[in-house]
Amino acid sequence: MFELTPVTTLATIKCKQQAIRAVRFNVDGSYCLTCGADKKIKLWNPHRQLLLKTYGGHANEVLDAAGSCDSSQIISGSADKSVILWDVTTGQPLRRYRGHASSVTCIKYNEESTMAVSGSIDNTVCFWDVLSRRQEPVQVLKDAKDTITSIQVTDHEVFTTSVDCHVRLYDIRMGKMTSDYIGHIVTFGSLTNDGQCFILSCNDSTVKLFDKESGEILNTFTGHESRDYSIENAVNEKDSHVITGSATGEVFYYDLISSACVQKLTHCSNRPVVSLSHHPSDNCLVTACEDEIKLWGVQAMEE
Amino acid sequence: MSDPDDDNIVRYGTQLDPYEEDELPSKRKYQQAPDQFAVDEHGRRRFHGAFTGGFSAGFGNTVGSQEGWTPSTFKSSRAEKASFSNQRPEDFMDEEDRGEFGIAPRQVQTQREFSGQKRPHRTQFHDGPIPGEPVLHSLVRAVHETAAVRMLRAMGWKEGQGTGERLSAKGKKKAKDQHKVYGCYIPPEFRQGQEDDEQAKEESDSSDSEFDFDTLFAPDDYEPYILNRKNDRFGLGYSGLSRHSVLGNLTGEYGSEAGSSRSHLLMKDKGKRVSIRGQAFGVGAFEAEDEDIYAKEDMSHYDFSIGGPAPVTPKKNTVQKTGHVLPGFVKATAPFPSVPSYPAPALPRDYVPAAAGARRSRFEPTTEQPRDQGLGRHELSAKARGELLGEAPVPPPTAPPPPTPAEDPIAKLVGRNVNFVTYTEKTELDFIPIKDSGKELTRVFKPFVGNPEKQKRYEQFVENKGVLERDGETDKLKEWEREREMAEFEQAAKLYRPLSGVMGDRFTHASEPDEATNPLSAVARSSTNHGLASKEQREAAEKGVYGVMTRQQTSWRPEALVCKRFNVPEVGGPRIEQKKEDRPKVAYSVFSYLESSVHDKDSFAKEQSKFSGSRSLTTSILPKTNEPAQKTNQENKSEQNNDENKKITEVSESAPGFSKRITVAELFLKESEKTKNQGAEVTETINKFDKMDLYKSIFLSDTEDEDDSKDTTNKNNEGQDFIDVPKNVERNTSPPRGIFANIDFDELNSWRRAPEESKKVEPPNKNTETPSNKVESPKANEDNATYGPKIPENLQTRILFEPSKKLIETVSVSSSEDSWVDINEVKSKKHKKKKSKKHKSKHSKKSKSKKKKDR
Repeated sequence: MFELTPVTTLATIKCKQQAIRAVRFNVDGSYCLTCGADKKIKLWNPHRQLLLKTYGGHANEVLDAAGSCDSSQIISGSADKSVILWDVTTGQPLRRYRGHASSVTCIKYNEESTMAVSGSIDNTVCFWDVLSRRQEPVQVLKDAKDTITSIQVTDHEVFTTSVDCHVRLYDIRMGKMTSDYIGHIVTFGSLTNDGQCFILSCNDSTVKLFDKESGEILNTFTGHESRDYSIENAVNEKDSHVITGSATGEVFYYDLISSACVQKLTHCSNRPVVSLSHHPSDNCLVTACEDEIKLWGVQAMEE
Repeated sequence: MSDPDDDNIVRYGTQLDPYEEDELPSKRKYQQAPDQFAVDEHGRRRFHGAFTGGFSAGFGNTVGSQEGWTPSTFKSSRAEKASFSNQRPEDFMDEEDRGEFGIAPRQVQTQREFSGQKRPHRTQFHDGPIPGEPVLHSLVRAVHETAAVRMLRAMGWKEGQGTGERLSAKGKKKAKDQHKVYGCYIPPEFRQGQEDDEQAKEESDSSDSEFDFDTLFAPDDYEPYILNRKNDRFGLGYSGLSRHSVLGNLTGEYGSEAGSSRSHLLMKDKGKRVSIRGQAFGVGAFEAEDEDIYAKEDMSHYDFSIGGPAPVTPKKNTVQKTGHVLPGFVKATAPFPSVPSYPAPALPRDYVPAAAGARRSRFEPTTEQPRDQGLGRHELSAKARGELLGEAPVPPPTAPPPPTPAEDPIAKLVGRNVNFVTYTEKTELDFIPIKDSGKELTRVFKPFVGNPEKQKRYEQFVENKGVLERDGETDKLKEWEREREMAEFEQAAKLYRPLSGVMGDRFTHASEPDEATNPLSAVARSSTNHGLASKEQREAAEKGVYGVMTRQQTSWRPEALVCKRFNVPEVGGPRIEQKKEDRPKVAYSVFSYLESSVHDKDSFAKEQSKFSGSRSLTTSILPKTNEPAQKTNQENKSEQNNDENKKITEVSESAPGFSKRITVAELFLKESEKTKNQGAEVTETINKFDKMDLYKSIFLSDTEDEDDSKDTTNKNNEGQDFIDVPKNVERNTSPPRGIFANIDFDELNSWRRAPEESKKVEPPNKNTETPSNKVESPKANEDNATYGPKIPENLQTRILFEPSKKLIETVSVSSSEDSWVDINEVKSKKHKKKKSKKHKSKHSKKSKSKKKKDR
């Protein structure tokens, strides 16, 4: 059982974006993006509580965004059915992809940020080539029977979760699609850093840990509440703890092995913490609740 | 000049120009008399001297000027008929004449029609004894009223009356008292004509007394209170003495109307003495007002009777009200015969009572339900119609049990769309006879929902099995309406029968929430159907036995581009279809051959090195190329030399410029082999060779002959080491036809080459070898890959065109090559390859064979 250094609130930022739909760290964890119901994306330095840039151009709520690996571009998906590729420095949209038939719920870059993968309420996953000027999706995956709730992309895999109670793993190297029936609506799925397991937030107020190879369940984490919200989860940088938001306004740290709740952070009372993002290399977490994001971490001792 | 205080001073008007202290303020420049003239807005002089026509004389003040004013002249010739010119006075006016102060001002005014001045009728001069306008007309000019007066008159108004409702005498009196006045109420004594009023009052009183029954009078005319203008300089309220004018009239002071002066002083002439009596300014504050300070006591001032002045006794001539109102008329004694009242006509049966114009537009939504909805013929099913016609009902197919109405919200919601959504407990009965139709029927079918009362009656009707009780509501209806309703009910009870449940699924009620708008509908749906998960999967998931049971694997093909972007090799190799698509993009043309050989950077560099370098250099490069290519390279060297010598004279014979071309040729060979390996496009290769033919025929044909002669000289040992493989391919295996039928080319060839070396053996070799080698060619290609470093792909594609040319050269030359002897020594594989390749290019053979023949 790993020792977890308790984290505290380092910063609280009022984003003034009506409601934060998603908060995402960038590739090195020094910045974060917030996607707001006010149709805008904001780029922050959460460590210094600085608003760096606002990206406006979507016609509806922005539901997800991702920063490229060189932090020069942002790709975002919105309820206006479009995916927009942004230039970070100018704040101008570089490209707008309109291949989806409905709201784009989730979006991710591939490892080299040469391709974006987006999931939508229209049950499809689209691959967008961001290098070329091609406007059509390179490939469309139509396996899901219902809304794609989240996407994870590794170097050779695309992992999707869906409301149709399935998770699907597309292995590009093998040319194989593995679908696992979960039995509950999966609102979010993430992969452990070692790429061996996936962590699924189900709408029965549990987080389930599955083995990727066999599809067997390894652990179930309970304690939080999901209600009707699409609650996100994360795993910490050492793969020792599973972190999940809750409809009760708290953030739960579960031990990955023992499934015991190790720490409970209170973001706000009785308002759902819908989105969270863990720092890729530090014990640092950013959570979003309504109009507010909080940065959690270990207080630096040295002055 | 400007003190700091100046800032606080508020100035009005324009400031004078500041002047220098040492400078005297210049007086206003004196203007000569002629300079002082008024100008109009255009700066033209407005007034002129009397002799120059007064003001603004002539068009543009031309009067008095040099040119003067020339009136228009009448001119008419045969060629130019004078157009009828009607000049108006305005034509001769200046702008200012039409202005506000001009002689013909233009202004907004009431139209003649309404101004009271009747439009002058066209005067008709009659041809009577007195010509011209009738004298009487000119004397008697009708005075016209304004439109308002005419309107009033049309409404019964007469002059001298006021407007408004007619009043009774009392009301009129009251109205007079409540005289409405804006501002301060004028004290009655100052009111003009007060005495007259009082007189009038008395008069009216008296008149009232005469007619005090209900007679209505017109209201009094409105008397505007006109304020008199004060045109003297006396104090307020004072009017000076009036004095007699010269003519003896008593005139008011300062020209006021005679008698209008209301001075309190009276001046009387008494002979030569003038006596002034009266009160000038009224009484001081401390004085009591004396009646008349100058008055003498007079008996007339005394009252001789006790009590107040005797009231004036009203003398009333009461008119008999009841009696003869009007002379000649007598009040009737018998009442009028009553007018007989007839009942309203009976309404037609299908009359729909609706207020006229209740629905003004056809787009306006109707508030009431269209009557008898769903009773149409077309809304019946075939069976229902059959039932109506008395046919025996066909036993219905067994329908799936419909959901019970209790659990189905649709059944509750059911209203208008009754025809579609139908559930009943009795599925076996497709038609419910009236007798059976009971509560359960009415619960579902509400044909008269639009009219709740009617619906209630209908339900009652159905409950009572076809008997409609009379109650308060039904009594309200007319007889015919009742009858009609009964008929309707009967029909409705017959017709509203459930459809089988099958149809029920197809329709949904409009009031059902639309799934598209409900964000949670998807959630609800997928949680019920579990995303098409099988039963086993569901069971396993419920038990928590994830793994094999819940897992499904299918093959999935990522797009090539996805693989590329993910840096993952494509599964199962590149797709064939795609390759096919890519192919045609490569265009072959003569010009591309020509250009690419020179313009390609790499090849150019190579050429440079070849030109400058020695033989050793060329050989050092050779290992880089593929083995078979090398072969040809070597072999061609000699021939190529000849070529070059002919073509490029500058290049010395010893330093051959061939190498570049040769490498390109190698590349081509490789490329063509590849294509062969991929299974593919035989036709394409053929095409290529066709192109080669073309090229060859253009550029190479003439050089070939010389090649032969020099071949021998230039050939070295190395060259001999390699087989003359292309030659084999050149060979047309098909038997000679036509004019070539009897010619033995081999013979000819051998004959020609006889002196050089004994190569006659080769031709047969060729023919035998080619077919067998063809099959092996793919293998050869693999071999190929093992030799030396691979040429970068991009380069390969770029110089794809040149090799074809090179090959042709080699081919053409090799046909005359004598290195057949070496065949045995060299690995059979290599030439097999070439042979097979060239074999494909059957088309090219013809031309080559021709050339051979030429030789």
